[in-house]
Amino acid sequence: MATVADATTIAAPGRSQSAASGRAGSRLRRGMRRNAAGYLFLLPWLVGFFGLTLIPTIASLYLSFTDYDLLTAPRWNSGENYAYAFFQDGRFWSALGVTFHYVVWSVPLKLIVALALAMALDRGVRGISVYRAIFYLPSLLGSSVAVAVLWRQIFGDAGVVNQLLVLVGLNGPSWITHPDYALWTLIALAVWQFGSPMIIFLAGLRQIPQDLHEAAMMDGAGPVRRFLKITLPLLAPVIFFNLVLQTIDAFKAFTPAFIVSGGNGSPIDSTLFYSLYLYIEAFANFRMGYAAALAWILLVIISAFTALAFLTSRYWVYYEDEGR
Amino acid sequence: MTNRISRREFGRLSVAGMSLAALGGLTRPAAAETTLRYVWWGNPDRDKRTNAAIDLYNKKNPDVSVDRESYAWADYWPKLATQAAGGNLPDVIQMDYRYIFEWARRGQLADLTPMLGNQLKLDNFDKNQLNSGMIDGKLYGLSMGGNSVALVYNKTKYDELKIALPDPLSWTFDDFIKIGKDVQPHLPDGTHFTANKGDNESWLEMFVRQRGKALYTEDGQLGFALEDIVAFWTVMTDMQKDGLTPPPDVQAQDTTGALEKIMLVLGKAITDFTNSNQLVAIQKLMQDQLDLTSLPNQEGNKPGQYMKPSMFISQSATSAEAEQSAKLLNFMVTDLDAADVLQIERGVSADSEVLKHIEPGLTDVQRRMTGYLTTLAKHVGPLPPPPPKGAGEIQQLLYPAYQAVAFGRASVEDGAKDFMQRATEILKRA
Repeated sequence: MATVADATTIAAPGRSQSAASGRAGSRLRRGMRRNAAGYLFLLPWLVGFFGLTLIPTIASLYLSFTDYDLLTAPRWNSGENYAYAFFQDGRFWSALGVTFHYVVWSVPLKLIVALALAMALDRGVRGISVYRAIFYLPSLLGSSVAVAVLWRQIFGDAGVVNQLLVLVGLNGPSWITHPDYALWTLIALAVWQFGSPMIIFLAGLRQIPQDLHEAAMMDGAGPVRRFLKITLPLLAPVIFFNLVLQTIDAFKAFTPAFIVSGGNGSPIDSTLFYSLYLYIEAFANFRMGYAAALAWILLVIISAFTALAFLTSRYWVYYEDEGR
Repeated sequence: MTNRISRREFGRLSVAGMSLAALGGLTRPAAAETTLRYVWWGNPDRDKRTNAAIDLYNKKNPDVSVDRESYAWADYWPKLATQAAGGNLPDVIQMDYRYIFEWARRGQLADLTPMLGNQLKLDNFDKNQLNSGMIDGKLYGLSMGGNSVALVYNKTKYDELKIALPDPLSWTFDDFIKIGKDVQPHLPDGTHFTANKGDNESWLEMFVRQRGKALYTEDGQLGFALEDIVAFWTVMTDMQKDGLTPPPDVQAQDTTGALEKIMLVLGKAITDFTNSNQLVAIQKLMQDQLDLTSLPNQEGNKPGQYMKPSMFISQSATSAEAEQSAKLLNFMVTDLDAADVLQIERGVSADSEVLKHIEPGLTDVQRRMTGYLTTLAKHVGPLPPPPPKGAGEIQQLLYPAYQAVAFGRASVEDGAKDFMQRATEILKRA
């Protein structure tokens, strides 16, 4: 094992400077040595973080200020990409519109369904874990390619939905390829993946002290009143958590639109999600610089919405331990 | 959520892993001194044939082993561009007429001219086909076969309905629409006379060429005017209004190029639009017999169609084994044994010896395709100038632009104006 003296000798460069900095250096080195094993174990993560996350992120920021088509070296173009997106690119705005539409509808609907089911499951039903697993299943499958393909079959021209409609004498359109309905099939797909917010709601519901409900019942409060006055306020932190996570998730949605639209946002760009447009610009049109700019714009948008949620949260989210 | 992305990536990784494992499973002789990489896009049938041809090459040249990669068309170009950016392009690359100019001019493809007469023995090669791979006087790709666009029709149904097609080289849109109006009442509900391909770049190209225009000019501008695309979309939307084509939401299922989604295969139409070399693949998906005919003509009977190199085989500029891979190129397009397995899946061979060799062994379907091209050859125009950068994007733009018209969101004139404006913008930006 290394002694203190060894450590100071190793820190030779420090000596030529002041003694104080030499000691600081040796302390640092000692610290490094003590933690070496820890860093060694962290190495896989560190390599991943720097090599696959941090450096590419910085590179993408640089690329967002360039013209880059993969075949020739990136060419600096100042802020042209950003200017083009905001002032000239109609498709950028239409993709943003589609994405907002998707977020605004899919997130609240999903949370409502998740909360309703969580409350239904919170009643001490027998075999609840089985139900929980069953209800969670769509979320495990939901973001996979297979389910998106399945969705195509269900809402397609000769899909299950239309076959059921025929039974009641209706002729349905091809839902996924009709500009009026295509986006709604994707919203339905998102709502169907209510599993993970449901589980979180369930945990939240369990935290609400039962005696509050009992006291309210004594005072003659009905179920609606109890829901509004007890469950909702006490669940607010969990609702907030789910809202933020699901909103971020919805902004980033890619797989369902990619698969269901056949990769091009068809029909009439009605399923051209922002992330899908970004993908097309990068990998079909080979405008890597522009796509990087789009990615950074999305980051700013998501950050803004998250910040907004946090800023407003103090007016509607109540934490028991805050004692406000 | 991040775990969604990682799950997707995990899926991709495992697919990649599996294909790597599959590649590793291919027999590789221990004696191999040179390893080449060969990449193409295609379908399972093409993969099987190409793999068999390469195995054959391997047998004849035990010192050369070939690593293969094959992707679907849409995945192919991102993959290739990424590899180019990383400086690790495969030695042998399948190329398309749409991209070969851009790739060659950016220095990604090897100039094959010095190999002519040495590794490349192309004495029997059709001169026009050879020239189609020439860029700025240098050879950058060998045509793997000629093809052209075509109408593909359900011959079984046509025969049942006693449809007599007029002379394919001079029939007109009026003839086409008249036949449609005659037969539509006899077709079952939900089946239509023809697919509606107003969103199809190739049909638009034929249409404007028949009017003496072109999709793109030599200097890479739009080669047609507003009135041309208005005329095209008017014909297409009129047929839709008359019920000769499927409604737009049904037609919109066919926007990805997947053959199993075209109206003909789905049974929504008895006529569709295709590339001639795809007849064999489409026939595999259907019981009814199919056949090809040329596109209807317009006033003046100007030929719209042309013989197109269906795809090229090229060599990357960075190939460390330039001579060896040139030999493989030569093998793929001129070797008679290779031709036995490749046949005409990539189009009709440009090498007259190869063609003579495989003709007797062709199946019935394949003969229908070569027969079509032989007839068509009397009524074709010259190969158009190469499409400019951004052409692929404009091809994709046609889908939403035409759909807006087909779904009645915009009038033909407004939709066409919007398309012209956006297409011009794309070319300016590219």
